[in-house]
Amino acid sequence: MSNPMPTIVFYGFSAALIALSLITVLSKNVFRSALALTGALCVVAGLFALMSADFLAAAQLLIYVGGIMIIMLFVLMFSQSPLDKLQRQINEQGWLGALAAAAIAATLILRFRDAFRSVQAEVTAQATTSSIGRLLLNEMIVPFEVVSLVLLAALVGAVLFLQGRDENAGKDPR
Amino acid sequence: MTLYHFLVLSAILFSIGVFGALTRRNLLGILMSIELMFNAANINLVAFGHYLHPQSFQGQGFVVFVITIAAAEAVVGLSLVLAIYRNIKSVYTEKLNLLHD
Repeated sequence: MSNPMPTIVFYGFSAALIALSLITVLSKNVFRSALALTGALCVVAGLFALMSADFLAAAQLLIYVGGIMIIMLFVLMFSQSPLDKLQRQINEQGWLGALAAAAIAATLILRFRDAFRSVQAEVTAQATTSSIGRLLLNEMIVPFEVVSLVLLAALVGAVLFLQGRDENAGKDPR
Repeated sequence: MTLYHFLVLSAILFSIGVFGALTRRNLLGILMSIELMFNAANINLVAFGHYLHPQSFQGQGFVVFVITIAAAEAVVGLSLVLAIYRNIKSVYTEKLNLLHD
């Protein structure tokens, strides 16, 4: 652990991640908070790369940033009105929520300090893609197939949710 | 840089997500906070795998499943948001009181 570079990168990523996620949660403009969440997800991909999980970093960028966030921005643009920028975005229980969140953070941090204070990593940088592929198709083949079914069900469900009204609206004129 | 650094970072990220999920009025804001919590859990899984079991990829394989389920959740959640918006022309949680009245 003589090389200080990973530590510097880690602190930079941490500061960016915390700042971006705070913007995500606190911003009054929902569009801005979606953009901040996109940045935060990119930073998480950087953290994965820092932990030598190269496949996950790429998957995070492709699926989260390229897929989920694009859908979210689309839905955001479909469902906002210009008046939303004047609305309060935090409900009345803001202080209670902050208290609960602080309690959770303090509990987790204190518990982890007792258990994992001084675990260091031995440096093993290797490509993980083929190993993950073998893992998914050997040991984890059952959850892999189940997840594909879940994805199919989610897609069919989403189409069903959004088509129900259109069908009725199309029938009425005839 | 030890395992503890990553655990503290993900604990902070998770609690920010909890705060958002508890206090946002906008349904989309709640969904975004849930994505933040997913990512905190993913950081934890990868960190434990990297620091405690460097030769095994079970943690990373699990993160693949978490990302997949998050995608499914986002698709269903967002289509629900759109369906709700079509019905009541609002995405604010206190307006969702059809069963309450």
